[in-house]
Amino acid sequence: MTGGLAFEAVSFGYPDGPTALAGIELTVAPGDILLVVGSSGSGKSTLLRAANGLVPHTSGGRFSGNVTVAGRSTRDHPPRELADVVGFVHQDPEAQFVVDRVEADIAFGLENLGGSPAGMRRRVEEVMDALGVAHLRDRNPVTLSGGERQRCAIAGALVTTPSVLVLDEPTSQLDPQGAEDVLAAIARLNADLGTTILIAEHRLERAAPIADLAVLMTDGRLTSAPAAPEFVLAEYPGAPPVTRLGHLLGWNPPPLTVRDARRRARAAESVIPAAPTPDLTAPSGDRLLSARGLDVHLGDLPVLHDITLDIHAGEVIALLGRNGAGKSTLLRTLANLILARRGTIDGTAERAYVPQDPSSLLFRPTVRGEIAETLRLLGRRSPEAVDHWLATLGLTELAERHPRSLSGGERQRVAIAAVAVGGAPVLLLDEPTRGMDAASRHALERAIATHAAAGGAVVLATHDVELAARCASQAVVLGDGEVVASGPAAAVLADSLFAPQVAKVLPGYLTVEQVTIAMEPA
Amino acid sequence: MHRAPATPRPWHSLAWLAWALAAASAVQLAPSPVYVALIVGIAWLMVEAHAPDGPYRSAFPILVALGCIFGVVRVFMAALTTHNGLNVLFTLPHATMPDALGGFTVGGTVESDIVLQAAAVAFTVIGVMAVFGAVNTIWSHYELVQSTPRSFYELGVVVTVALAYIPATIESMRAVREADRARTGGHAVRRGRIVRSILPVLERGMERAVSLAESMDSRGFGIRGPARADIEAGWCVLVALVALAVGFLALVGDGPTTALICGVIGVVALVAGVWRSSRGVQRRTYRRRSLQPGDWWLMFAVALSPLALSAISAAGNSTLAWYASPVEWPRFDPIVAIALVPLLAPLARRTTIPARVEPATAAPDAVVAAVIP
Repeated sequence: MTGGLAFEAVSFGYPDGPTALAGIELTVAPGDILLVVGSSGSGKSTLLRAANGLVPHTSGGRFSGNVTVAGRSTRDHPPRELADVVGFVHQDPEAQFVVDRVEADIAFGLENLGGSPAGMRRRVEEVMDALGVAHLRDRNPVTLSGGERQRCAIAGALVTTPSVLVLDEPTSQLDPQGAEDVLAAIARLNADLGTTILIAEHRLERAAPIADLAVLMTDGRLTSAPAAPEFVLAEYPGAPPVTRLGHLLGWNPPPLTVRDARRRARAAESVIPAAPTPDLTAPSGDRLLSARGLDVHLGDLPVLHDITLDIHAGEVIALLGRNGAGKSTLLRTLANLILARRGTIDGTAERAYVPQDPSSLLFRPTVRGEIAETLRLLGRRSPEAVDHWLATLGLTELAERHPRSLSGGERQRVAIAAVAVGGAPVLLLDEPTRGMDAASRHALERAIATHAAAGGAVVLATHDVELAARCASQAVVLGDGEVVASGPAAAVLADSLFAPQVAKVLPGYLTVEQVTIAMEPA
Repeated sequence: MHRAPATPRPWHSLAWLAWALAAASAVQLAPSPVYVALIVGIAWLMVEAHAPDGPYRSAFPILVALGCIFGVVRVFMAALTTHNGLNVLFTLPHATMPDALGGFTVGGTVESDIVLQAAAVAFTVIGVMAVFGAVNTIWSHYELVQSTPRSFYELGVVVTVALAYIPATIESMRAVREADRARTGGHAVRRGRIVRSILPVLERGMERAVSLAESMDSRGFGIRGPARADIEAGWCVLVALVALAVGFLALVGDGPTTALICGVIGVVALVAGVWRSSRGVQRRTYRRRSLQPGDWWLMFAVALSPLALSAISAAGNSTLAWYASPVEWPRFDPIVAIALVPLLAPLARRTTIPARVEPATAAPDAVVAAVIP
């Protein structure tokens, strides 16, 4: 039996849509981990869905060419007939559970395909051990954390012993710890079982090092032949910071991991100028808001304790901390959505809050209409303001699209524009870069900088230290509902176990951009 | 032979089905508000003792609330359209419908006995809803699906998945509400709020449904049609269900002969269905939980309650039902309360609820779930 996967001259267009895949030629050897890289809308998801016949059997549309998995063509076999050779895992960990008990849900695929009860029993136990979810067997999937859920979903896909596992952005909705666990489990599966893995990801810091090969997709085409990830990612804007650093310093091939980069940096110490002294001056803008001694409970559960925080004009504050540390709760308290039990929030500055999930907000048929809607609700009309925010967040070209037809990162930007257009000086963004590709991230960073420069302030709750390093002026670290560190971002981030990648390689620097500037006169 | 999984649910879902049927029959047999209140209390006790952690915990309050809404509507309708009571409370302006629309009078006199009687009937509906709500927080829908003949399996899974959408949708509605308020910096704009709340919830639900369908398809759902024996068994059970339902209606509607005939047909078809199904192809069910002696004992015990009530009723006990005219307090007879005691039988075992962990903040819906107590 061959465990490989082959795409031959595959082209595809969604019904009434443009071409999504054009002339894909790709062979994945059995046992390889292939990473598919590309911006949102480049056709990654479509390519992955073609691997088990969801495209075209479920999607409809125009399909030509041939996809072969373990000797079977997806033309003749719908996804359910390929369930024993291809496992498929979705990016949304919530939308793939059928049964309300983890163990029974994992067994679902086997029940469909049949087999002896003894064989099923053994298989389910083994798969639970392989993914480290045996202790969760009696739980209801909705009570699990994102990372646990995603590992259970992978177990459910793997229980039929497929030779190929397809993962569509499996970690994009997860926090760093959850992502780490999921990717470690994937690497272990590949090592132990020899499962061929096809994985699409935006956040490459963790995914790239485990991949054997990577391909780059642009507008439905493969723009690079499968090659080692360090070569494919060398010039890719969404590459991990160490890879971009390596490319900047002319290391060939560029490193993928901090460990690798450190070794190279030691050899190249003389080339890199000494780090500039970081700007640690206290904020000078007017004080917009000031929270004093906040205690917040959700129901009976104490979440925040004695939080004190000042927000000045021109500041970008990054709120960091693990899941459950109280970041979202603090933002929602600042937004007046939750009442604090104790403590005060002084200041009359308006604040606007963008929730984690942009889909809670969007309902108009066009992006422009969505942004104008906020002004309409506030009883104002200002096409200039709408155009301004479309431009600031790089949405002008998408203005007439339906928000639901956009990618996660694009939707997030629409939600931010729709909230920011109200003109509140204080913007509260909850996890704004979840599922964002590099282009969306850059647009967002620009918009944050513009807003702060114009006398506003931005508070962002994030797990993404790289984002914090690039755009925050202040950083506040929450732990167990209390502030455990706060101060200028440069100081707080550099002095952390979870420092940005560049700081771990070149102490004193935080971002590739800083290194670029320091290198310029030379 | 493999041991049944050590689930946190100590009773089989079919045993809970028997409990629900017994409790609902008890409501019908003893509709006086005192006894219905006792049964609602028993249902609440079951939720407290046996409901596992998870989104279905809210099914009980939601269904009871639905029952209350229905009850209020019913009382209003009765007060406005029924006018043969004795004690007039007050008189409203009235209009008489044309004969083509039934020719009844809306408004006019509102009588206390009519209102009270309607309220009592509405309370029995609340009682049934409480029983139904309680079992829905407790049993596993999938365990029920696994207990049906193979030919109902696909349909059953679809229904289970659809049920799982109800709590998810309620959570999603809350998130959307909050996002709407946050959008305008905390001011609530009432105008058009329904559209703004409903559209995102629906669209999100659709998106999720599509990904779930993809996921189920990828996991081989529906790969094989049912075997012949399964189809035959399915038809038998369908006939049984229809016959039993008609029989029940005939029983309520005073048609004992029809009820008996339908009942016999139903039982015969049910037995045939189960027999045919067991003769069919081996079902590929993973660790299907079979009924243990304890489950049988529970089913037997709870059945005592409606049997005892029937006996009490046949003996001419006048406290079982309550009538509003002449107005008097509902009377209480300890013998009826004793007849309800078997409904407490599920308390004989305890549910070990798996440790409740902090909900993840990674998933937006989970955050919302943490906010809703």
